[in-house]
Amino acid sequence: MTFSRKCVPFTPFDGELAKSTVALVTAGGVHLKDQDAFNIADELGDLTYRIIPEDVDVADLMVTHHHYDHSDADKDINVVFPIDALRDLQAEGFVRGIARKHVGYMGYTMQLKAMYEGTAREIANEIDKGSRADIVVLTGG
Amino acid sequence: MKGIPTVLITVSPEVSSQMRPPRALYPNGFKIGNSLGKPNMRGLQLKVLRDALSLLTEDTRPGKIITRDYPEYGEYHEPPRVKT
Repeated sequence: MTFSRKCVPFTPFDGELAKSTVALVTAGGVHLKDQDAFNIADELGDLTYRIIPEDVDVADLMVTHHHYDHSDADKDINVVFPIDALRDLQAEGFVRGIARKHVGYMGYTMQLKAMYEGTAREIANEIDKGSRADIVVLTGG
Repeated sequence: MKGIPTVLITVSPEVSSQMRPPRALYPNGFKIGNSLGKPNMRGLQLKVLRDALSLLTEDTRPGKIITRDYPEYGEYHEPPRVKT
């Protein structure tokens, strides 16, 4: 499916937050320490993404991204990937659940068409299939 | 195609608006790398995340970025401008 350059791909939300499961997708270069780092040596950027599981311990996460200062994220990943904050909102009943899968990628690329038509769709498919997410919160760096 | 509702938290509203996000929150003056605020300010992080999620149930205009002030952040950073 091709979107018009002027169209806003708006999906309505007619549910309730308290009954919804939330996934996080961040362009902030977040990944597990035991996953391959993003390739910051390639001037064209890195089109790949990493799946982050629902039960991730934030101590096992790190950032690989050379186009923003991630020193604060290194201290507390929640400033770009608010997984603990989301858990708090679940505990207070503001949302129902945490999705099974979350996604990190490096939001820097000179290959916009490949990002838009390839990576973005692959990430959407990952979320759509098996994450059980009703809502996605997107963050940058 | 069904689609999944999304909401974006952006600290580069001018840049993000070029991508026409369906729903977006700009925490006013937050710097790049601080989308949810500062490290270990969990109360502020929760407030930003709660406000972003709440945009899903508010009658926002598709493509419009909502700016909110969070004085407890304690700083103001000019967001990056789109180069013309």
